Amino acid sequence: MDVTRYVDDRTKDGVFRVNRAIFTDQAVFDREIEQIFEGGWVFLGIDSQAANPHDFFTATIGRVPVMVQRDGEGTLRGFVNSCPHKGARLAQTRAGNARLHVCPYHSWSFDSAGRSKAVKSHRAGCYSAAFEQTDHGLAALPRFEVYRGFLFGSLAADVPPLANYLGEAAKLLDLVADQSEEGLELVPGQVTFTYEANWKLQLENCSDAYHFTSAHPSYIRVLERRQQEMSADVVASVWENSDYWKEEAQGVAGGSYSFANGHVLNWGIFGITPAIPLYEKAGVLAERHGEGKRDWMFNMRNLTIFPNLQVAENASSQLRVIRPIAPGLTEMRTWCIAPKGESDAARRQRIRQYEDFFNPTGMATPDDTVSYENCQIGYAGTVEPWLQGYARGMTATVEGGNRFSELLGMSPERSVLADAQLCDETLFHSYYRAWAKRMAGGSEA
Amino acid sequence: MSAPLTRTEAEDLLYREALLIDTQRFSEWLELFTPDVEFWMPAWRDESTTTENPDRELSLIYYKGRRNLEDRVMRLTSGLSTASSPLPRVVHQVTNVLVVEADEAAATVSAAFTCHRFDVRMDRTDCFFGRYEYHMVRQSGAWLIARKKITLLNDTIPTVVDINAI
Repeated sequence: MDVTRYVDDRTKDGVFRVNRAIFTDQAVFDREIEQIFEGGWVFLGIDSQAANPHDFFTATIGRVPVMVQRDGEGTLRGFVNSCPHKGARLAQTRAGNARLHVCPYHSWSFDSAGRSKAVKSHRAGCYSAAFEQTDHGLAALPRFEVYRGFLFGSLAADVPPLANYLGEAAKLLDLVADQSEEGLELVPGQVTFTYEANWKLQLENCSDAYHFTSAHPSYIRVLERRQQEMSADVVASVWENSDYWKEEAQGVAGGSYSFANGHVLNWGIFGITPAIPLYEKAGVLAERHGEGKRDWMFNMRNLTIFPNLQVAENASSQLRVIRPIAPGLTEMRTWCIAPKGESDAARRQRIRQYEDFFNPTGMATPDDTVSYENCQIGYAGTVEPWLQGYARGMTATVEGGNRFSELLGMSPERSVLADAQLCDETLFHSYYRAWAKRMAGGSEA
Repeated sequence: MSAPLTRTEAEDLLYREALLIDTQRFSEWLELFTPDVEFWMPAWRDESTTTENPDRELSLIYYKGRRNLEDRVMRLTSGLSTASSPLPRVVHQVTNVLVVEADEAAATVSAAFTCHRFDVRMDRTDCFFGRYEYHMVRQSGAWLIARKKITLLNDTIPTVVDINAI
């Protein structure tokens, strides 16, 4: 595929543009599924989703149904969630516990390590010798690895080790994982929504500081009302306690980091405020990890691990899994991710902030997803096919890190240090460089 | 001497609430609730159970206090929310109304609902359905909603579900 048709990457001339067709073209989408989603590392879930022996949960890699299963000895494995006999989907639920999976179609069965337990009426089946020599177990994912409880799988075997794929961005997953010595959990209650637009709009919006005051004025008005009349009834949120989102704020407010393989972070300084559920652990976390890393845990952070994982820690903490269904249709599976062992008060605050801000039944996300749909409609306008949304920060981006990334010993490929007004867009370049490389047929890392 | 809530009274209250939402008379809708109302739409924990403890588990919507519903109405009608401008057209069907428990001061009412929503912005029609559970209290001679629990059965949300579509 000639990717220069879709990504015009000439930053030395001050130009970086993306063609609208990247979001609408069926052939582009089909190749994305093959090259990006079914051709490399994809996030599946976290280990606490299958915490106990024989627990499993289901996920998707591209079009492929997947099952992550813990066996009786505690080993986690990833399988294609499909019976080798006729192909039927085996596990029907999003999660469960099963020593044995019995296919509901012809009763072939499999243990929690994916091994064939029984082929129904095997001896009476008059099978050939060739069949008897075939493994009837579940097809294991060609690659399956864990990083700090984050589980990834790949349908392609020829990918680099997960640690290489994550690279320096792994240190940002550490900031999530290190918030509790007991590890991470997903708060019970998952929320799934769809939107009628391309998956890359979600990819971009998570990293887009520029839209906040434009897309969310109704939410900002609610925040202002709450600032004026705080009461016990009100859902306390970090936004009321921060000037981060105020356009008139002064000084360094945050910025962006870009990493190899399309991982990016957009971040901002909130400070160590009681409006953040982690506040009760501020002292402990500083002792355990040092003040620099502790302060980072309290920064607003929107992290994307390309192509389908986002961890947003701002008003609360959200884990998102992006699933492309069609060029103009995307499914989002979302959870409140939280450090284990936090107090009831902190957990309540985290949950209330989450519902208000992140839910598709809340007050912020719908104004994003509706904007994605407006983009998808607008992309049909190909009189001028090149989009201009990748230009902010072009003269501010520098190679390597800065004094803030040094606090984590983290070396990004590029960084931008920004006031509240800059709202960098060069971090999107990292997405589309990884995209172009993969679409052209190149491998990761 | 006041009498326990009757089914006819319960139906009247629920139908009136539906009409107020459907016709965008939100300030009158807010008057149906007590100031400390609990307004709750749980999330689903798995295929067959919803979350039960709003303090330790996620809800789709959870508010304690009418003031928070006022925020939602303000946002919905502000003209500042892309997702709410223009407002979708909605109509609620409230059925299967049963008074589960009732005395002179309080009552528990269950019902089923269907809400058809036409999103004029996207030319798209959706239908949401589920169950209601109300706790009503009599204050100054009028029945008010002290608790409303909405169990949304089809919880894969098509882009947005706001308080007017449930």
